[in-house]
Amino acid sequence: MNKPVRDHAMFDAELSGAVLNLQLLNRILFWIRPYRLRLFASAILILATSFLTVIMEIIISRVLVDYIIIGEANSNMPDLGMIKLTQWLELQTGLPPLYAAGAIFFVLMSAIGVLGHYHRLTLISAIVEGLRDLRQDLFAHLETRPSSFYDKVPVGRIMTRVTNDVEALYEMLRGIGSLVGEFVPFFIALIIMFSTSVKLTLLLLFFVPFVGIATYFFRQASREVFRLVRNSVSELNQNLQENLSGMQVVQLSEREAHNLDVYTKINKTNRRFEYQSINLSTFYGAFTDSLASVGLGIIIYYGGGEVVQDEMSLGGVILFTRFMNMLFTPVVMLGEQLNVLFRAMASGERIFQALDWDEQIHEPENPYKFSKRIQGKIEFRHVNFGYSKEVPILKDVSVTIEPGKKLAIVGPTGSGKSTMIRLLGRFYDFDRDMIFIDDIDLNDLHSHDVRKRVGVVLQDFHIFSGTILDNIILGNPDISREMAIAAAKTVNAHEFIEKLPAKYDSPLVERGANLSQGQRQLLAFARVLAADPEILILDEATASIDTETEMLIQSGLRELMKGRTSILIAHRLQTIQEADKVLVLHHGTVKEYGTHAELLAMKGIYHTLHELQFQDVSFDDEDNPILKENTEDNGI
Amino acid sequence: MCKNALCIFLQDKFLKSLRRLIPFLFPYRFQVMAGFSTFFVARFFEISTIWAVAKGIDVIGQRLKGLEPEYSLAQISFAIVASVVFRMLFVIHARRAVRRVAIAVSYDLRQRLYTSVQQQGHDFFARLGVGDIMTRAIQDISLIQRLCAFGAFMFVIMVYAPFFAVIGMLSKSITMTLLILPTMPLIFLYAKHIARFLSISSLAVQERLSELASHVQENLSGIRTVQAQAQEANEIKRFWLTNDAYGSAFYEQAKINSLMMAWMPFFASCAQLLIIIYGGTLVLENKMSVGDLIFFLACLGMLLQPIRMAGMFVTIVQRAAVATDRLYEIYDAKPEIQETPSNQTPTVIKGEFEIRNLNFVYPRTDVNTLKDISLHIKAGESIGIVGRVGSGKSTLLKQFTRMLNTPKGTLFVDGHDVCDYPLSQLRSQIAQVLQDPFLFGEPLKNNISYDDPERELELIWDSADAAALKETIENFPHQMQTLVGERGVTLSGGQKQRATLARGLIRNAPVLILDDCFSSVDTETEEHILSRLKAIRGGKTTILVSHRVSTLRHSDRIIVLEEGRIVEEGSHEALIRLDGNYAALERAQTQGAGNE
Repeated sequence: MNKPVRDHAMFDAELSGAVLNLQLLNRILFWIRPYRLRLFASAILILATSFLTVIMEIIISRVLVDYIIIGEANSNMPDLGMIKLTQWLELQTGLPPLYAAGAIFFVLMSAIGVLGHYHRLTLISAIVEGLRDLRQDLFAHLETRPSSFYDKVPVGRIMTRVTNDVEALYEMLRGIGSLVGEFVPFFIALIIMFSTSVKLTLLLLFFVPFVGIATYFFRQASREVFRLVRNSVSELNQNLQENLSGMQVVQLSEREAHNLDVYTKINKTNRRFEYQSINLSTFYGAFTDSLASVGLGIIIYYGGGEVVQDEMSLGGVILFTRFMNMLFTPVVMLGEQLNVLFRAMASGERIFQALDWDEQIHEPENPYKFSKRIQGKIEFRHVNFGYSKEVPILKDVSVTIEPGKKLAIVGPTGSGKSTMIRLLGRFYDFDRDMIFIDDIDLNDLHSHDVRKRVGVVLQDFHIFSGTILDNIILGNPDISREMAIAAAKTVNAHEFIEKLPAKYDSPLVERGANLSQGQRQLLAFARVLAADPEILILDEATASIDTETEMLIQSGLRELMKGRTSILIAHRLQTIQEADKVLVLHHGTVKEYGTHAELLAMKGIYHTLHELQFQDVSFDDEDNPILKENTEDNGI
Repeated sequence: MCKNALCIFLQDKFLKSLRRLIPFLFPYRFQVMAGFSTFFVARFFEISTIWAVAKGIDVIGQRLKGLEPEYSLAQISFAIVASVVFRMLFVIHARRAVRRVAIAVSYDLRQRLYTSVQQQGHDFFARLGVGDIMTRAIQDISLIQRLCAFGAFMFVIMVYAPFFAVIGMLSKSITMTLLILPTMPLIFLYAKHIARFLSISSLAVQERLSELASHVQENLSGIRTVQAQAQEANEIKRFWLTNDAYGSAFYEQAKINSLMMAWMPFFASCAQLLIIIYGGTLVLENKMSVGDLIFFLACLGMLLQPIRMAGMFVTIVQRAAVATDRLYEIYDAKPEIQETPSNQTPTVIKGEFEIRNLNFVYPRTDVNTLKDISLHIKAGESIGIVGRVGSGKSTLLKQFTRMLNTPKGTLFVDGHDVCDYPLSQLRSQIAQVLQDPFLFGEPLKNNISYDDPERELELIWDSADAAALKETIENFPHQMQTLVGERGVTLSGGQKQRATLARGLIRNAPVLILDDCFSSVDTETEEHILSRLKAIRGGKTTILVSHRVSTLRHSDRIIVLEEGRIVEEGSHEALIRLDGNYAALERAQTQGAGNE
């Protein structure tokens, strides 16, 4: 088997996002594409809105001031036909010019309101829906990553991709949208300014690069501080998270004061870096804000001269002052948006890294399809397996379980028991000709088909929020309420569920915190039972259930195991005795195999285990091979 | 003025919540005041700039008419640039002042949170959960920080901008100011009306987002269950509902926001229309200058600024208000366990316990988890406790170290009420190993010697040895320095249990309490550990919970709990003779032996 070795640490690595990656942007647009019509409409609308916004300024400066007040409509200067429109309206309605201009102004303003609204709606809905689809695809992709992926990458890291990182993309796309919304009037205004006074416009444009220079220096200077802030924040969170999780231990060890000291230190460091970062950002913000206003001084000084020399009208000067914001806002905004953009680039990279993470269980191209009900014969044939190449976990393990029979696997922690059942559940890839169900190679089956037939109660059973019933059914449409209740009855979960306030409809909180450990296990059993698999696997799940509760469960399981091939893993031999065969696993190899009685008679490892359970046996470490524990099997 | 401006946009309940931030802002009141005064000056320079520009237009107009203007263009331009520079300097200082306060406040909020959670007990964590507290510590505090930083900025716009705008307008034309003022209530009424919708919709967005986050977290944490049940497709479908609900809520909010932004230009244009027509007439009649008309229009823009910001403002304030409530839920939580030392308790606990008619009810439940427990444990005795799931074993054990709120007069340690002891003494002299083997993401050494980071390495190795973990650690390349957890080595369940056991043993306490901490340890290793324990702990009180008869039978006395009551009590032999629950358990576990 030649599989690429994956470095899962890559998934954690801090992605730079320092470069403006157009390819990334293009990939994001892929999800927006289905909504491109709306995006197109949005662009048309912003063009119209910007145009009207510029015209409004012309009405005030050129029509109101030049034409109406000063009384001379300097024809050398652009008015986009507004003076003519006013005159036409005067003629048609007989209104005084002031009122005619006012009417046009009012209509334009209202139109801006309506068009702008629809521009925003079309833009936002395209982005929101596109990102919703991206999030859905991302979730679906992650949902189908194999166990080997989740073994290595912490859930928290994966989760933020679906939440925070997609949110960051929204900010970015919305930011780009607003930028476009600012740059369109920028260019329209620029054209009109140039046609009014080339010299003054060039003079003003001279200031624009300053914004860029300031932005560049700001970014250079702040990069390091921002990194320090980020690091200190993540350290803060990590410290808190861990202490919250282990609060009982903290309190029992009276570490409160010491831990508070540690936290205070981190908190102080964070505050110091935050202070440093705002020193820079306040200066940068105020500086770029002010540049546009400095331009006003130039307009008055230079423009005033031009007016007197009759190169420009008074309205022209006013027009320039009113355009100043249109000229600077987008440039300043670009500087601001750069940060958002770079942050979002990193988020985008993380999202696509997750989407491109093609680690998966190998599925056959033409999977063998089982008939409706299978026999349930299981065969392990010379199984060799390790999670990594260096450390073999299972060595030449062979065992066959006939349909409807029960196999108990025993052995010390780390002997490979869990691995055997994980392979059977097809949670990992392994070579051909190793594991068979009904004589079909597991590699010829789709993993879903395998898992539908193999019901596993894992060591770390998980309870989802929702009701008790939801947790038994788990969204499987094939399971009715009645079937769920029947399953609960079989594993004796019915009794405690009936005692809950809303019975089967009682809500469960995160990780089943309002249920006792035993109750959670009973529920986990009910869940597997409801799914009605042909093969049943119990992985040590009975370990923390007391003997009496376990007896209740076993009475239910006994019924269930009838006609189902079962594999049991439990430390207590009593659980195992009901099995047809027992397999003793040690260091990943089969040491003993046979019925309970046969194994006892062998006086080997099984016998020792058995003796220990019931009698006071003092023994020496050196004499007992089982004590030397294999530590490589890390649990799921 | 401030309150009124706020009230226009916010419901009273949000103001009530925000008021609770005052104690956190109080220490920085001078910085806040300095910031606001500086902002006031900065605003003054801002309107000065506009005034100077208007003056410049008039100067140009006068020169155009051939009149001698009162100022030269150079003077005007200099005034503009000067006021811009002054404004910038003041803005820098003002912003820096309030942002520093915002950072300092969030520092304090975090410190307070950390201190609060450390004092909390079982009920608190059962109610909130780690994920929830983390969200509060990260998201909610940053929302408040945002309010403190941007809130001040908003305040400037909400209050200073209209203030200076009205002053500026009045200085030019009282009649025209009065003419447009009637349109203002209309605008404010509309803003208020839409702010209510905005309130509701932004809360909805918040809720949907946190639903989305917890959906993802929960699903991914249980990914193996999902995959084992082949439920991926269903889960993906189920996620769509949460995902789409968030998208819709978000769009809904954007729509309301956008609608407000659309109506504003309309309202503004009504006022502007009045200025254009009335002001234009005044100019034509030579009663007003062109510059003044332009100035008036600029002032109107300033007057309307708060409304443009309203959407953002409502969202920020509201989120911060909700965040404040959520933080105060933590701050206000009274520690379940109150320390009431009598100062008459002995300094060293010998390990004699007397439980008298102990009844225990978990908060917010109405079931007695422990019912009328009476028990005497002699110093040096070893006690085994057995009972089915939910019979109250862990609840009983947690009384000894007051991890739960033991009622007064029910549990006596060396003859003194457990409530009379200082907590630190109880917890240092009664070492308790919990059922859940929790390890910190630190080196093993720190984990085992958690109570005392300075302990000698040799002692740490000794306790690891006693917990049968020495060999395992020796096999790790970094030995005691091996990092455990997410960023280090993942230990198996049994290894974790033994590490936590070592953490308990290292304290060498007069009393040791083990809560079912061998469940993932195989029988032989357990046997080995127990025999070591016997040797180490001769003459010291040991209480342990187990389901295995083979473990329990070593104890001097065995207690059988059922539904919170002691139903059997005695030595292994005595209980076998009694032929009750324990004997049945013994039979069940030795059944195989009988079959031979």
